[in-house]
Amino acid sequence: MLIIECPYCGPREQCEFTNGGEAHVSRPSNPEEVTDKEWSEYVFFRSNPKGIYFERWVHSHGCRKWFNAVRDTSTDKILRSYEIKNDKPSPADLEDSNLTTPSGEPDVGSGNFTVKKL
Amino acid sequence: MTAQNNKDVTHIAFHQSINFTFDGVKYRGFKGDTIASALIRNNVRVVGRSFKYHRPRGIYTCGIEEPNALVQILSEHNEPNTRATIKQIYEGLEVESQNCWPSLENDLGSINSLLSPLFSAGFYNKTFMRPRGFWKKVYEPLIRKAAGLGKPPKPFRTTSTQLHHHVDVVIVGGGLSGLLAAKSLAKTELKILIIEQDGFLGGILKNSNKISTIENKDNKLWIKELEKKLEGLENIKILKNTLATTYNYINHLIAIEDRTTGTLPLDGNVDQILHKIRADHIILANGHIERLVSFRNNDLPGIMLAGSFEKFIQRYGVIPETNPVIFSNNSSCLSLIKKLIDLNCKPQAYVDSRSGDKIEPELLKIIHKKNIPLFTNAHIEGCDGKKQVQEISVRDAEGIITKLKSKMLCVSGGFNPDVHLFTQSKGVLSWDDEYLTFKPDKSFQNTIVLGSNAGIFQYSKIVNDINTKLSFLDHEPLLEIDLTLNDTDKYSIEKLWETKHEKESRWSKSFIDLQNDVTTKDLRQGIQEGFDRIEHLKRFTTNSMGTDQGKISSINALGIVSEILDKKVSEVGTTIYRPPYAPLSFASIAGRGTYDFYDPERKTSIHEWHKKNGAIFEDVGQWKRPWYFKSHPEENLYEAVQREAVHVRKYAGVLDGSTLGKIEIKGSDALEFMNLMYTNNFSKMKPMSARYALMLGEDGMVMDDGIISKINDKHFIATTTTGGAAKVLSHMEEFAQTEWPHLNVFLNSITEQFCTFNISGPNTRLIMEKVFKDIKFDNENFPFMTFGNFTYLKSTVRILRASFTGELGYEIYVRPSIALKLWEDLFRFGKDEGLIAYGTETMHLLRAEKGYIIVGQDTDGSVTPHDMDLEWMIGKNKKDFIGKRSLTRTDTIRSDRKQLVGIKPIDPNDIIEEGQHIILTSSIKPPVKMLGHVTSSYVSPNLGHSFGMAVIKDGKKLIGSKAYVSSSSKGAFEIEIIKPIFIDEENKRLVS
Amino acid sequence: MSSHKNWEKMWRSPEPKASYDAIIIGGGGHGLGTAYYLAKEHGLTNIAVIEKGWLGGGNTGRNTTIIRSNYLWDESANLYEHSLKLWEGLTHDLNYNVMFSQRGVMNLAHTEHDIKEIKRRVSANTLNGIDSKWISKEEIQKLVPIMNTDNLRYPVLGASFQPRAGTARHDTVAWGYAMRADEMGVDIIQNCEAYKILTENGKVIGLETSKGIIKSKKIGVVASGHTSVLAESAGIRLPLQSKPLQALVSEPIKPVIDTVVMSNAVHAYVSQSDKGELVIGAGTDGYNSFTQRGGFDVVEDTIRAMVELYPVFGKMKMLRQWGGIVDISPDASPIISKCDIQGLYFNCGWGTGGFKATPGSANVFAHTVAKDEPHSINAAFSLDRFVSGKLVDEHGAAAVAH
Repeated sequence: MLIIECPYCGPREQCEFTNGGEAHVSRPSNPEEVTDKEWSEYVFFRSNPKGIYFERWVHSHGCRKWFNAVRDTSTDKILRSYEIKNDKPSPADLEDSNLTTPSGEPDVGSGNFTVKKL
Repeated sequence: MTAQNNKDVTHIAFHQSINFTFDGVKYRGFKGDTIASALIRNNVRVVGRSFKYHRPRGIYTCGIEEPNALVQILSEHNEPNTRATIKQIYEGLEVESQNCWPSLENDLGSINSLLSPLFSAGFYNKTFMRPRGFWKKVYEPLIRKAAGLGKPPKPFRTTSTQLHHHVDVVIVGGGLSGLLAAKSLAKTELKILIIEQDGFLGGILKNSNKISTIENKDNKLWIKELEKKLEGLENIKILKNTLATTYNYINHLIAIEDRTTGTLPLDGNVDQILHKIRADHIILANGHIERLVSFRNNDLPGIMLAGSFEKFIQRYGVIPETNPVIFSNNSSCLSLIKKLIDLNCKPQAYVDSRSGDKIEPELLKIIHKKNIPLFTNAHIEGCDGKKQVQEISVRDAEGIITKLKSKMLCVSGGFNPDVHLFTQSKGVLSWDDEYLTFKPDKSFQNTIVLGSNAGIFQYSKIVNDINTKLSFLDHEPLLEIDLTLNDTDKYSIEKLWETKHEKESRWSKSFIDLQNDVTTKDLRQGIQEGFDRIEHLKRFTTNSMGTDQGKISSINALGIVSEILDKKVSEVGTTIYRPPYAPLSFASIAGRGTYDFYDPERKTSIHEWHKKNGAIFEDVGQWKRPWYFKSHPEENLYEAVQREAVHVRKYAGVLDGSTLGKIEIKGSDALEFMNLMYTNNFSKMKPMSARYALMLGEDGMVMDDGIISKINDKHFIATTTTGGAAKVLSHMEEFAQTEWPHLNVFLNSITEQFCTFNISGPNTRLIMEKVFKDIKFDNENFPFMTFGNFTYLKSTVRILRASFTGELGYEIYVRPSIALKLWEDLFRFGKDEGLIAYGTETMHLLRAEKGYIIVGQDTDGSVTPHDMDLEWMIGKNKKDFIGKRSLTRTDTIRSDRKQLVGIKPIDPNDIIEEGQHIILTSSIKPPVKMLGHVTSSYVSPNLGHSFGMAVIKDGKKLIGSKAYVSSSSKGAFEIEIIKPIFIDEENKRLVS
Repeated sequence: MSSHKNWEKMWRSPEPKASYDAIIIGGGGHGLGTAYYLAKEHGLTNIAVIEKGWLGGGNTGRNTTIIRSNYLWDESANLYEHSLKLWEGLTHDLNYNVMFSQRGVMNLAHTEHDIKEIKRRVSANTLNGIDSKWISKEEIQKLVPIMNTDNLRYPVLGASFQPRAGTARHDTVAWGYAMRADEMGVDIIQNCEAYKILTENGKVIGLETSKGIIKSKKIGVVASGHTSVLAESAGIRLPLQSKPLQALVSEPIKPVIDTVVMSNAVHAYVSQSDKGELVIGAGTDGYNSFTQRGGFDVVEDTIRAMVELYPVFGKMKMLRQWGGIVDISPDASPIISKCDIQGLYFNCGWGTGGFKATPGSANVFAHTVAKDEPHSINAAFSLDRFVSGKLVDEHGAAAVAH
């Protein structure tokens, strides 16, 4: 189980939280003016990267606060968590992702390799 | 030549005999014996049959790695697949061998062994295909009947429990390295947990003869003193009989503690504890495992790993055989030979695959001194014997075969660091060319690997290794430690995975996986067929897929494969090691979280009253809700509902609606927030009035409904469906916090703070006036969809005039502490007016007669407000609300979508069933085009016939026409499609 | 039956050619099946299957192998029934025994609400010609005598049962398709990782891989959890989220459960393999991840339900536990579709239940790739539906189920 740092309560087991999907997706302020396609992007389409992912969590069995986190989905390593009101951290401020190839596995920490690649 | 006791051990109480049975025969062992050591003591060699060929199998190892000796424990609910090499005996233990019929001695399944040339790897996939019908009727049942090892256990209710630990350091393994690590960390402030799978500390110091003194003290004394010291420290805790099985992400370790070692587990007592451990650092000091060598008939009972043989002597005080033949490709058998000589037993021969100049001088010296026949540069070609080893064929350097008569062969194929936990942690391995094994390389988590587990097979290097790896923890560096060895300081090994058969026969076999009967021939065949990736080969041959997960042989398989493919072993790679390290009992994983603790039961404050008054409950989410009330014990659901439904419309009834979700919305922007969350417009609504409201998802589909009570623009109370309460609150929270944080709004669940009673029926007003004497309930003072706060028993109650039955009705919100009192008052005053309590089923019927929908029953996440004929609930002139934009997509603006209608049978005797479909023909020969389905249906005593609500394609246009509905018992029958309202279309009763 | 001495290699291990008529990315059951049907039914043999690891190593080799077609909506029912019919002939079609075992699948109802949902589905199935029926608690007890139906938090009230449903041996499906596709000339290229889909003027021109650039005007992406990563490389966004899904097996025991039992309400799915292992599926973890690893709490939840539902499992042990990556779409239905880039096709979004669809999915996807238009069976599963709103919402039938 992951350990997630709630910006308000500190590190807690993941079962206290609920994941809220991708972060920094804003609801169109003018829904009537966007096209069906643009609207569908907001309703149904979310990024699904292997690597650095900005996501939302809510401390549902705790303070009930929503917050954002940055996680490497190829290793599940959480690089940062921050309050909703904070800006999106720039990738330069984060540790580099472990990915060796665009769709590949990190050298260590993923599920697929037990033996050191030659 | 038989087994002999070695009384010079501390873990067997030779004065304490224990009686147990194996396959119905009584045997005697001693306190501390495992089933395996006790059987060996009794000269029992054959303990089971193999999975596929039903070959006789004996005890191969002395620990958790055992592939063969799996037994059924009759005295413990028939627990199957128990390792005889782990399970300790106790008085009255009953053990049975597995996978044999009719008996271990004469197993009919062994005919498979004769047919074995046919049963090679992948065999099932290429056969059993013809004739066509035979697969299902003949072959498949036969294959399935042959499945499995042990017999199913008997019902067992878990009594195990779970414990959580949060520590700085976990040391897995209380052997030499683990103890030295603990010693060096003892003086730190770190909180340390030591996990030891055995009932005692010491590992190699006790399980082998390799080290005789440490720091100039006898091993046992040294351990005793150190253990005493560690136990005296507050920061160190030692868990014995505890096996670490799973290494999860973020240094989360699962370990299972056996609390009943050597005793009969008593039902109701805690028999095992699952420890869940979070640690900053995990030290893996869990040692190594010995591996086998494949040769002809290397599965015969009487063949045992050399290290295990030594462990039986050293730890269990039993010499399985006084004159075994010993076969090795490495330096490790020196300690065993020395031990046997010390015990006045002499190996019958020593066979080493290495040439004489590579063999350690010390080993050669003792062999020469004791005149032990020596074969160097030699292999075991194979073994023969009917049910156990009788003859051993040794092939020397010149290729000459010598046949030795012997009943026991000890084999050492070298050592592997036990890397299972390390790879579970997602660390990666690298191949060690010197020791011919995989060892931990790069770790992904805070993992430290020590001793032989790190691939360090040199005693003089252990201390330095610990000092280097633990220095960052400010440990106290260890000084060099004096060891007296019966072993060479440095281990050396020569490559040998398999020996050649002298004569190839279709029946001759060299096993690589003893439990799954995988032979080296199977590996070759797999590769020949193209399964040259190790994961393919594993799946094709089932190599290392047994309950031992190939602990003693998986590296050998890689070695063999690398040679066939002419690749390096590191290029072949390993298969992925799956947790758990050893099979983990379901009961321990479940812990206490079953039955009473599976999921909480939520009960209303009136629950006991309901029970006393004949309520039958239904589960709605976690809630127990009265489904219907029996007026007499023989009354069934149908009768009760018919009675209740008539009664409410005629007199009055009350429903315990306390389970409805209730959310309080407060803040200066509450009005704006509510206007965004719900379809309705609350702006012009008067304070202290209420409105039926609809909540959509962003996809425009109906998500929930409820009544919104407006106290003022800054304060609302919303009710939700029983099942939707949590979802609605988190939906609101999500938008309040993430989308519109600028809105000043606070949300709180008040579901448990109030009980809700829904009272309705023509006599309701009379009853209310009697209970609440100061309140005026007439239409003028208390119109429909208004509410007020009143005082009752010095407490505030909120009364809302609303109805879900279509009759005159009120909802009373009252504090739980006085709820029962009020409920009883309702009945005290309502008795003369015919008040009854009714359940959810009657509520469903009554609301359906009125055409009110239930979200989750009449909707399924695919209907819009328009589909439900609820467009009147969409606030006009509202620029935005959640889901609004989705209502104008091409598919949602179609006019022929599925829409809500009412239906009634043409023949009043026909009964419409929920979930059946509206179709256009009376024939139900598939495929039948379906217009939609019946979402709700009831037999109405008020209408005198069955009726239903349905969601059907282009429904609004079809009103007034006829169609058919399918049924579960007879084809289809004709119905009329009507408006979805059946009673009081003009709302006269509602506002009466 | 003869001794299996001289079996030939099941498939070649070719190096990729410079170009192909079509490339399928993903060497699982769906991808290999697509290649098989492209070659067999559409005469396209100058094609390649590109696999990052080893054949069948993804979800094909990790799933609990439940096969059924008792889906609610017509669109889904048609697709899964098409698949089930292909399963029924697959062993003979491939001349390779995929051990399709029609032992039946049971879906349990634990509440009145479950009963309503299940009965609705049974009715729809019946009218669609799918052999699904409602069975009472007594009938359940007859089929699965070890089940505890009464003395538990959510008692068993009834079930749907589809006798033609069942299980198959997962690996052999991939191997069988691979073997026959290879025979027809399809190049199956393992250990070849797809990096980037190359496009020019809105058309597919090739694929950049770890073995260099391979040209092709058609690319079908069938990479389950990794599909959206590859789509992104061509600038296409898919409405998918990749989540961990865990499964486990027990130690093998003699036959104890003769059918497949699923319970959405308490998240417990079990069947017994031909080796005797109980094969148990858990729920998904609630966050995106590509690590093929989930939380132990999810396993605990499943086991708790299992030991309560089957008291004899209290003395069983978990042998192996693992995770896969499932790609979940917003309506729990797959996407088998063209996209805005000409020559690029997707077959994804199978969520937790893709194995059962393997032959059907492969069959209609091959049609889509070959003809550049959907088969009538997969027309409803286009990418457009998320714009128009015409979803095929199977949350009820699929839930977290397999």
